[in-house]
Amino acid sequence: MKQKLKAAASGTLKSLRMIAPMLLAIIGLIGLFKTYITPEMLRTLFNGSALHDMLVGVGFGGISVGQPFLSYIIGGELLKEGASFYGVTAFILAFVTLGVVQLPMEFSIFGFRFALVRNLLSLLFSFVLAFLIAFCVRMFA
Amino acid sequence: MKKNRSGLVMLGIVALLYLILGILHPDKTVAALWTSLGVLKMIIPILLLVFFLMALLNVYIDEKAISRHMGEESGLKGWFLALFGGILSHGPGYVWYPLLQNLREQGAKDGLIVAFVYARAIKIPWIPLMITYFGWTFTLVYTFWVVVGAWLQGIVAQRLMRK
Repeated sequence: MKQKLKAAASGTLKSLRMIAPMLLAIIGLIGLFKTYITPEMLRTLFNGSALHDMLVGVGFGGISVGQPFLSYIIGGELLKEGASFYGVTAFILAFVTLGVVQLPMEFSIFGFRFALVRNLLSLLFSFVLAFLIAFCVRMFA
Repeated sequence: MKKNRSGLVMLGIVALLYLILGILHPDKTVAALWTSLGVLKMIIPILLLVFFLMALLNVYIDEKAISRHMGEESGLKGWFLALFGGILSHGPGYVWYPLLQNLREQGAKDGLIVAFVYARAIKIPWIPLMITYFGWTFTLVYTFWVVVGAWLQGIVAQRLMRK
């Protein structure tokens, strides 16, 4: 048992050491994105039409990084500024499910094929689910 | 996990980016560096938890158990585990990648991993904030469709990546 635990601990340290450079790189990028891409910059891009807002929402949600609550705050502000529910929902979904910044890490851990399929599906689903969610909300509200 | 140099290359690129931006906008870049340190501080406990879980997994759970619960024969239980696990997991997604890859290597279905990652779009601790901004209707509809979407995405991914 003790030996098993020791082996597990050393294996854990080994994988931690292996992902450390990529992890530090991604965290460094996150700092840059948070500082250089401001909510004001995002706000000027939405114009209220469903398709346009969905495209912009997915685009910016995909490249933005940060805690999920940031997407709710930015999304809430965008809605007040006249963006459609379609665009705001697409933005939130892409924000929490897509991560252009962390893509290199996903590729290096899961392998090319898996990461590609997963991200393409998430991209597609950001549009499909944003449409369904906004449509249902309008129907119920 | 694959061993490659992409991490070091990426770290080099980011360091270079900081250097260039540091010359152009020193104040902003220092702020970015502090933000990064803040993120690092925040994820360290989660990272330790994830790696501890990985170690436990390696010691106590054998491949047979993984393939029973998350492998080809896992059925509905596997989907339930993946969706529920995704919803409950917290912290940034990339922190979970090594653990998920470990599960894949031990026989977990690709579709279940994809479903887990997508189900993470539901963040239980932030639900009150979502309700405040967008209301109950939106929050319920959003949660429902994300769960359905995660499940569908898992099914499609499983078909595309059948091992």
